[in-house]
Parts: sequence; C-alpha cells; structure tokens
Amino acid sequence: MDDKRRAILAEIPRLRRYARALLRDREAADDLVQDSLERAFSRLDNWRSGDSPQRWLFTIMHNLFIDQKRRVVRREVLSLSQDVADSMVSPPTQFESVVSREVFEALQAIAPERREALLLVAVEGLTYAEAATVLGIATGTVMSRIARAREELRASLDDAARRRTIRVVEK
Amino acid sequence: MTSREFSENDIHLALDGEMPVEERPAFERWLDAHPDMHARSHRFATDRDRLREVLAGVLDEPVPPRLSGVPLIPEDTMKGPPRLLWRSLGAAAILIIGGVGGFILGKVNWGVSVSGENVADRAIAAHILYASEKRHVVEVGADQKDHLVGWLSKRIGVRLVAPDFSGAGYELVGGRLLPSAHRAAAQFMYQDRSGARISLYVVRDPGSHETSFRLLKEEGARAFYWLGNGCGYAVAGEVSENTLLTLANLAYTQLEVAGAE
Repeated sequence: MDDKRRAILAEIPRLRRYARALLRDREAADDLVQDSLERAFSRLDNWRSGDSPQRWLFTIMHNLFIDQKRRVVRREVLSLSQDVADSMVSPPTQFESVVSREVFEALQAIAPERREALLLVAVEGLTYAEAATVLGIATGTVMSRIARAREELRASLDDAARRRTIRVVEK
Repeated sequence: MTSREFSENDIHLALDGEMPVEERPAFERWLDAHPDMHARSHRFATDRDRLREVLAGVLDEPVPPRLSGVPLIPEDTMKGPPRLLWRSLGAAAILIIGGVGGFILGKVNWGVSVSGENVADRAIAAHILYASEKRHVVEVGADQKDHLVGWLSKRIGVRLVAPDFSGAGYELVGGRLLPSAHRAAAQFMYQDRSGARISLYVVRDPGSHETSFRLLKEEGARAFYWLGNGCGYAVAGEVSENTLLTLANLAYTQLEVAGAE
C-alpha cells in the first residue's frame, strides 16, 4: 500500500505538467491533479501491479478532464475571465514570458481531445499505443488527432507571431 | 530501394518515434527530395521543442502541500464533505499566505461545487424575475431596513446584514423572502443611479463548507457565488464581472463580520 502511494506521489510533477498544459490556469490544473489523486487513492485496487503508475494516473485524469469539459460546455462555469484576473492581481509566480503565453494560448485553441493526444505523445513521451489506451481510442485515431493538433498549433503560433509583428510595427 | 511510398503521416510517425528504424534512411531521402515536406517536418519538430521547453518549468516547481498531502481515504467515505473540506483547507492556506492579493486570487477557483452552483442558479433566476419589476421589485423597502433585515434573518435562521454597497455606487432598494428547494432564501436588491440592479441572494446551507468565489454565467445574467458560515451566497446581475466581483468582495467582508458577532 505504501509502495503504491509512493509510486503515485512520485508522478505528481508530471501530472501537474500535463494538467497545466491542458488547462493553462494553475489553480484549475492543480484542482484536476488533486481530483485525480483522490480518485486514484480511493481505487488503488484497480491499479494492477506491473502497470505503469503514470499511464494509470493519466487515464484517471483524462476521464476527469473530459467530465469537466462536458460540464463546462453544458453550462459555462468559469473562474474570472483572464482580463479581469489580470487587472486585479499580477502575482510574480504567474509570470509568463511572451513565448510561454503564446504557446499556452495556442494549446488552448486546440480542441481538448486533440490537445490531449498531442501532449501525451509529444510532451509526455507516450507511444501511440499507450496514448490510445489512456484515451480509450484506436491507435489510428491517436495519429490523426496528433496530425490535426500539430496543424492547429502551427496556425495559432503563426497568428500570434503575426499579431506581435503588427504591434511592433505600430509602435 | 524504398519498399514503400511516404506521405505526410510519416512525418508524425518519425517525429513521435513510431517509425521502424529500418525505414528511416529511406524516409530521410524522401524528405530531402521534397523540400515542402522537409520544411514541414522541421517546423513540427521546432513546435514540439517549444512545447517541451515552455512546460519543462512545471516539473521543477515545488509540489503544493494540498497535492503531496492528499489523504488515503477508502472509497465509501469519499463522498462530499471530506473532499470539499480538504480543498477548502488548500484555499485557506492560499488565503493566509497570500495577503490581500492572494486573498482575491485564492477566492477564485475553477472547481465546480454542485450545491454552490445551485445557489447561483437560483440567485440568477430570482434576479432576472424581480430586477425587471417596475412597481413590485421588493416586498419590503429600504425605508424599513431594520425590519427587513430582522425579518429575513429570522426566516433564514442566520444573522444577516444588508451589505453597504454605496462605495460601489449601489443603494439598497429593499428585499424579499423566496423559496429555495424547501428552504427560505433572502434576496436584497440594489440599484445604481442609472437604474441598473444587482441582488444578493442568501440561503442557509448548514452542511456546506467554505468555498472560493466562483462565477456562473447564464443567459441574461451572471453571479459570483460562494459558500461559508453555513450559508450559500450569490451576487447576481447583468453588470460587468469586475463590478460583480467588487460587490461580492464587499458582501463577503461585511457578512463575515456580521457572522462573527
């Protein structure tokens, strides 16, 4: 039991990275991690020893993330809009460089299911087969989602770069 | 020499480590022969590196205590309160550490509280219904404020105040008693000089634990809501999120003081 717990806790940094990439907002991301950990600890028996704790936890997080997305679509429950939050406080811990902001914004512009596929493979280093298991889809679907996600990411980053150039020119 | 034709899909396979090693030399030659595909492959690799670079910092951040300290709880005791309690402890920690700026930030949370959402939903419905009234916007007017507050406090079962929003330009119009799923709820209606109205909605919810401020947007109006002091609160209106949040903060502070007396 303690070994399992330790193995799970060791995955927290990577879970946080994945959640942050999915949701961008730090608090929302940590909420998702916390929900995932709670669910994991309440269902330790479902974790077959020998299975990678990371993939098991990613699967749990995927399910919670999709639930959350559904709820948000049904009814728009939001934190403060970013503009309002920005105007109120700018804590130094949330400092983002221009590059970092553009990447996060571009990620958010990708449809959630494609964002997940891209991040699991390109950032978290899962194989297509592993990502397919985590997401509950076919391996071929993983590839097509990644292909579209990459196109969307590229287009968003290009847009951001263009906007930045226009701003510089206007100055 | 090449055993198969390559296509754009192979760029992804190669980039993601899904291409068999023996196919790689032929793939590289194919890329060299197709400058557009070569450029595409290069660009995807660059974008991937940017992604990894931007996200790498998260791994080095210290893990917040609320995550490293998640307790091992058997599933049958996991329902509701303990979870919320745990989360509110995290929010409380942020609140204490963060001072005023952190206070506001700590009060803002993306998580969804079902009961809080219900409170906000009812508050919005009640606001839309009564704020549009011309003659009967309230049951008891602000001219009988003491009576109004005493009456609603008694019916709700907690000591209420009608918060002073005059600093934000809103004056009390009055209030009314409302049904809220077998409980009594109070609505205080306010108005600014242009006639724009906002309302504060309070319902007793003894089982609830403190939550952060959250925003619910619905067609026609929005509300900031929170739970605490055994009550659910919502400030609803059609005004900007900024104004609504200012009012929610004023209400929170004044109700907190009243509750502590």
